[in-house]
Amino acid sequence: MTMAIFRAALLQLLHDRGALLLSLFVPAVFFLIFAEIFATAASDEVQVHVAVVDEVRSADSTALLAALEREATVTIVPDVNDRQAALDLVRRGTADVALIVRADGESLADAAGLAAPPLLLLVDPSRNVAATVLSGQLQRAYFAALPDLAVGRVSELIGTEFTEFSAEQQAEIDSGLAGLRESARSGERGGWSFEELLDHQNVVGQTAALNHIAYYAGAVAFMFLLFASAQNAVGILDDQAAGILDRIAAGPGGIIVVVNGRFMFLVLQGMVQGTVIFGVAWLLYGVDVPGNFGAWLLISFCSAVLAAGLGLLLVTACRTRAQAQILPTVVILIMSAIGGSMVPRFFMPEWLQTLGWITPNTWALEAYSGLFWRGEPLLALLPRAAGLFGVGMLALAISYLLARRLVER
Amino acid sequence: MPAAPGTEALVIVQSAVRRFGGRAALAGASLSVRRGEILVLLGPNGAGKTTLLRALCGRTRLDSGSIRMAGGDPADRNVRRRIGFVPQSIALWTQLSVRHNLELFGRLAGIRRAQLAAAVADTLDWTGLATRASEPVAALSGGMQRRVNIAAGTLHRPELLLLDEPTVGLDPVARSEVHQVLDRLRKTGMSLIMTTHDLVEAEALADRVALMSAGAIRAEDSLAQLIGRLFGNDQEVVLMLVAEPAPSIRDALRAARLSPTNEDKVWIGRLNSGLEQLPELRSRLIDAGADIAELRIRQPGLHGVYIELTGQVPQA
Repeated sequence: MTMAIFRAALLQLLHDRGALLLSLFVPAVFFLIFAEIFATAASDEVQVHVAVVDEVRSADSTALLAALEREATVTIVPDVNDRQAALDLVRRGTADVALIVRADGESLADAAGLAAPPLLLLVDPSRNVAATVLSGQLQRAYFAALPDLAVGRVSELIGTEFTEFSAEQQAEIDSGLAGLRESARSGERGGWSFEELLDHQNVVGQTAALNHIAYYAGAVAFMFLLFASAQNAVGILDDQAAGILDRIAAGPGGIIVVVNGRFMFLVLQGMVQGTVIFGVAWLLYGVDVPGNFGAWLLISFCSAVLAAGLGLLLVTACRTRAQAQILPTVVILIMSAIGGSMVPRFFMPEWLQTLGWITPNTWALEAYSGLFWRGEPLLALLPRAAGLFGVGMLALAISYLLARRLVER
Repeated sequence: MPAAPGTEALVIVQSAVRRFGGRAALAGASLSVRRGEILVLLGPNGAGKTTLLRALCGRTRLDSGSIRMAGGDPADRNVRRRIGFVPQSIALWTQLSVRHNLELFGRLAGIRRAQLAAAVADTLDWTGLATRASEPVAALSGGMQRRVNIAAGTLHRPELLLLDEPTVGLDPVARSEVHQVLDRLRKTGMSLIMTTHDLVEAEALADRVALMSAGAIRAEDSLAQLIGRLFGNDQEVVLMLVAEPAPSIRDALRAARLSPTNEDKVWIGRLNSGLEQLPELRSRLIDAGADIAELRIRQPGLHGVYIELTGQVPQA
């Protein structure tokens, strides 16, 4: 008897392709996505995209940058003309970090810590890992490309610290060594270090933690906008099953009013959801929503339009309510995983970040990141907002056709 | 103001053809509906009744042929404003109140906001739903839900009301209440086209009946005219067998001028001298080996007309 129930459950699962998809296919896809993300994060295969600007153009700087370019984990972003361009690239996320060989600092050959270091890193705090990796590679490149400078600096150190071995000087050496030893014991840096060559500058105003919160507010908001839209849009299929669509389609407005009315509701629902999530981010974490209110409102509206259009599209593509409970869930889960709603995109391997651009999640959260993270002006955000809005309207237009099919059967 | 059915045609369907894949749901159906009449559309499942109703409210486009409603095309939204449609299911938001449903469907039917309150109040009044207006539809009895279902299709006072099996699943009392509602609508001058499988209901309500099978209208007239045309003075004989007949018995039944129906145990025929011929027929059937459960004659009615025209026994 027990086996009869077991068999009934098995047969039901085998006959329900949607449930089969959710229970077997989706977990496998999720495993692949997350395994790929974390395998990359934990391995040494991190590729750092560096925007390089050589303001000095000396023989030393050219040799250093050539050696850096030969490092396997470093990819130089091409065609970066000046410091401002490099700054923009890091802010937009096109480059992970920027390296400036700066004209307003000491030279590579005789940096003595008296003025600004010769090398400047422009760092996005959310991608500190990239800066750390670059520092290491830069150090290797430095010793590989400019060994005469490195040894020269050591001999200079000896020349200044350990010159003639007279009794008097020996005492000084002893004293100096003792001083260095004392400095090492007390944790102070003694002597010369590569770090003296390097300076760091934060490219965004906010702290890394706050940036992560701004990122997640966008990421979570859009994922839930999609889920809520699809969930509510299922009402269209309920109305179809009840015969309500038949009744409305026979009226003067036709099926278009059903899709339009539902769309307007979903956009409003999305705006309210976005307000709640960003309201919490503002009140509890200080994400500057009031300071960017106009741009935030624009992006939230366009994101809500996109989520509403996609929710309707996913649901009207289904023929039954059972399908509509499975298909949108599967699609939204996968889009959210790939698109950066679950794990930040900068943790992802290169190919997955590129793949992410096919998902609307990436478009929406890149728009929010542009605003709260990289501080892009409203004008720069307009193309992104137009993209969100345009695709949302396209999805709505396709939903019209699919909804018509619902009542023409 | 009560109005008797007129002679002016409100709806004219001519040679309507609609194919789905290789199957013709409508295969040259022609029909006319007069102002202020109830036309009952009868026919077996798959005859094309629902497709015809959908075409009448502009929802299904014809491959060929035409439908004119008061001179216009139902696909035109201005013509659709003059049509009401009542689906077979309870097509209402059942968790909302009766009043909310009527207000929403009134707006969807094109009633202006200024006229809406009056239209809802009027509809609640004549359907007898005024005292239950604030209750969710789900809390009402089946009969009341059917009344709201019809009311939602009539708020805008259409000239033509299409009803798809408006009493299916109702008990006799609730069915009678719905009949009263339909009769009231007819008296306002509204034309009604309704489908049903219930011949008793059709006989009670129909000014005219249209019998449909295989996508075409086989006959369309008042019941009396149909009976007269099909049966003349003949009476109808119905034979019910205990078991499905063997091939030899089927040949004997055909020889006795009985015709099979879609139910193997039910055969029908006609007798021009009624009772006098019955004993002889009975002897012939018994001699042929038929195991008779029931043999009777009756005055022809819609039941006979239906079998005569469709070759099928109507569904219960």
